[in-house]
Amino acid sequence: MDSVEKSRIFVVIPAFNEEGAIQAVINEVCGAGYENIIVVDDGSSDGTYSKAKQAGAVALGHKINRGKGAATKTGIEAAKLLGADIIVTMDGDGQHDPNDIERLIEPIMKKECDVVLGTRLKNTKGMPWHKILANHVANFFTWYLFGLWVTDSQSGFRAYSRHAAEVINTRADRYEYDSQVIREIYIYKLKYKEIPIAVRYTEYSMGKIQKQGVMNGFKTLYKMVWSLLF
Amino acid sequence: MRFHIYQVVISVISAIMIYQGVTNYIKGKNNPTLLKLLARIAVWGSMALITIFPNISNVAAKIIGIEGNINAVILIGFIFVFLMMFKLLSAIERLEQDLSIVTRNDALKRINEEEK
Repeated sequence: MDSVEKSRIFVVIPAFNEEGAIQAVINEVCGAGYENIIVVDDGSSDGTYSKAKQAGAVALGHKINRGKGAATKTGIEAAKLLGADIIVTMDGDGQHDPNDIERLIEPIMKKECDVVLGTRLKNTKGMPWHKILANHVANFFTWYLFGLWVTDSQSGFRAYSRHAAEVINTRADRYEYDSQVIREIYIYKLKYKEIPIAVRYTEYSMGKIQKQGVMNGFKTLYKMVWSLLF
Repeated sequence: MRFHIYQVVISVISAIMIYQGVTNYIKGKNNPTLLKLLARIAVWGSMALITIFPNISNVAAKIIGIEGNINAVILIGFIFVFLMMFKLLSAIERLEQDLSIVTRNDALKRINEEEK
């Protein structure tokens, strides 16, 4: 960790109704040594915003729910305004292990690439079979529509260099955001790397109703096709 | 020329709809645009024309190359509905994106102010 100071590494956490987990996630990220944490509360109806603030994160709030992609983009914009050199995005339900951040940002630190994609599919231990299947389907469509094969197109655990954060400018608001980022990596010829990450599927994270379901999957696919056509 | 009751009813409704569109356009009510007015005149006008002069649909069938005037009318109707749907979806998409931008700018206001 030499070329970039830790004070210029920002962790962005989009969160929607994550009152029950957000403080623990923030504390874990702090514990891993990263203090610049931006939580974007995406129009939650619970106390996500206040809990994030109490835990010491920079809390930003969408007045209405705009989707995971929109919230992530807001967080990235905020990080850029605050002078970030490296931006890490991760989920707010605790499924990602903040101890993986170091491995995730290392290739960017070494200037080997612009984007690092955390991939769950290189180590599927503990991952429900339907998630594995859904991810393979999503990977196929991402490759077929956007031209780049990656092993986990739907992972929200990623790291971006400042350059990548400036270049990537997708208009996707919801779950299609993750695939759109892959498209932009391909279009702008950004260097990327995939790093295996640990995933913790807890009762809490699996019980959330707004997660990608079959219907949301179809919606995501429709949005991906729409973005290509218009 | 003998008129049936349905021809009178549809013609009157079409005339009212076109009149309303024209007056809205002149008075500037409900964000009028020339495109909206022309679309209204095209839809209601052609409906009235086909009702009053059913033989017109034979001309349309000949132009499109479909046998049977009813099929030609249905096809034109479908194409029009698809065009409207496409326009609506595009408008919704644009509005959604604008909404996200406004929401984002509002969320970033605090940081922007602190930066100044």
